[in-house]
Amino acid sequence: MSFFLESFSAALRLVGSLDPELLTIVRVSLSVSCIATVFAALIGIPAGFAIAYGQLPGKRILITILNTLLALPTVVIGLFVYTFISRRGIFGPLDLLYTQKAMIIGQFILIVPLIAALTVAAVSRVDERYRKTAKTLGADTWQTALVVVREGRFGIGAAVISAFGRVISEIGISMMLGGNIKGFTRTMTTAMALEYDKGSFTLAVALGLVLMALSLGMNVLFNLVQGRSAR
Amino acid sequence: MMLYALRNVTQRYADRVVLDIDQLEIEEGRIHALLGPNGAGKTTLLNVLGFLEAPTTGAMFFRGQPVEASRAAMLHLRRQVVLVDQHPIMFSTSVRSNIEFGLKIRKMEKAERQRVVDEVLETVGLRQFKLARAHELSGGETQRLALARALALSPRVLLCDEPTASVDAENQAVVSGLLQQINAARGTTIIFTTHDRLQAASLAQHTLVLEGGRLAATTYENSYACIWDSSGNGDLRCTLQGRVEIPSPSPPACQPTGSGRIYIDPEKISLSRIDDQGKSNQGVTGTIVLLMAEGEKIRVVVNIGVLMVVLMDRSSYREKHPLVGETVALRLSADAITLLAAPAP
Repeated sequence: MSFFLESFSAALRLVGSLDPELLTIVRVSLSVSCIATVFAALIGIPAGFAIAYGQLPGKRILITILNTLLALPTVVIGLFVYTFISRRGIFGPLDLLYTQKAMIIGQFILIVPLIAALTVAAVSRVDERYRKTAKTLGADTWQTALVVVREGRFGIGAAVISAFGRVISEIGISMMLGGNIKGFTRTMTTAMALEYDKGSFTLAVALGLVLMALSLGMNVLFNLVQGRSAR
Repeated sequence: MMLYALRNVTQRYADRVVLDIDQLEIEEGRIHALLGPNGAGKTTLLNVLGFLEAPTTGAMFFRGQPVEASRAAMLHLRRQVVLVDQHPIMFSTSVRSNIEFGLKIRKMEKAERQRVVDEVLETVGLRQFKLARAHELSGGETQRLALARALALSPRVLLCDEPTASVDAENQAVVSGLLQQINAARGTTIIFTTHDRLQAASLAQHTLVLEGGRLAATTYENSYACIWDSSGNGDLRCTLQGRVEIPSPSPPACQPTGSGRIYIDPEKISLSRIDDQGKSNQGVTGTIVLLMAEGEKIRVVVNIGVLMVVLMDRSSYREKHPLVGETVALRLSADAITLLAAPAP
């Protein structure tokens, strides 16, 4: 118990002192996850909207595939991307392996299905009368679609927040594609794993605290968004 | 001028025909009521008239011009017609933004939009809610806001799907008054659906009746599900709605047996007061529940187990002078009954 308390208080001091190494790790984590989330949202939201709103053939099959992709382990995505960007892969000459770009690609693949699937759910929940009302008030197809997006905005926002929470806390992709290089591709999760291996718990616990605080922040935001959506 | 003309219009969903209209013309500038039971095709017809759905087959004309099913043509027509749903839904914005939606689409200047918003909110009596969130309004207020949102667009036609079905009595009167006011002040053609025959009679200048997706040549009232039964001595009797048995004076076309649907012409029912001994001479007896002047006629609603409407001319009314609450006898003339749906064996 005393060991835990010592580690915990040392970690708190580290966070409080704004340790440069800790800040670098947090900065890398946030920037990689934010960029991956933005790109995934740019693709996932329109894709999810098109599946939910449009009259696509094979719509149910697409939704089933999306839901299946949600269960994809991060290490499988890591392996998949590795085969393309390793020296022998078709994108090997681009020298992407063990870079933040590689991590962003992997995380992007991880959360595009998540954002798309949650967008499908959010748009499907929008009352059909909004579409009819917009049309009878003179909206064209594009304006009607925007009304549906606006009415589903809280659900779509929750999808993006949920996706960010997924990538900030993943480790498989960051480790396999980023390589845990100090000051460059070391994220909170990979650093925690390394510090654990070294038996150095202070930084690991400090990073855990920051990650927990971020997770808590995300969940509070998620609940606020969902709460507004329910009203 | 004829606003709408429909020729051989049908609307199918999968294999089911929900609307089948041989010919329909709707005059501009009037209030039209669309009566019919649930599933008669009233909402489908409104969707077709509102250019929200193109009919599966048939020809449609709007102000003399043929209606094309292309997206651009339908959008152009849709901007002249607004449909107010039975349960209207408001966008999750303010009252003002809801009204501004259609105006912004029509690219109206901000100052002009503000003027229109204020004007229509004043008309429907919701000015104090201008900045409120639309979802926070009550059911009656929402119905009025939906009317205001439609009214702001100055449509040529206002379609209302059961505008008073889901509001309280006070708001029913307000909404009915607004429809009359809109028609009188702006000359807007109003077409509304209703189950309420009295509302149709009091509000509309013209009534259309739908039965099973087809226009019925009746006034919808006195239309009953019926079971025929031929007794041994050759007398034919109808049991209305499974509750009231009436003598069928003359079988429609053939001697039907089984179940079907009939219409009893309210002008071909004679009403007589019960004699002092409390016995009727003939026919069925019931209690008068409503008396109402309707043009040159007097509408008498008699509860005989089902509500039956009798239309009396004024001289006959003065002579017989029936009273509400009084028990009277009804007698059907030989050609009072029309077969609406063929009897099923």
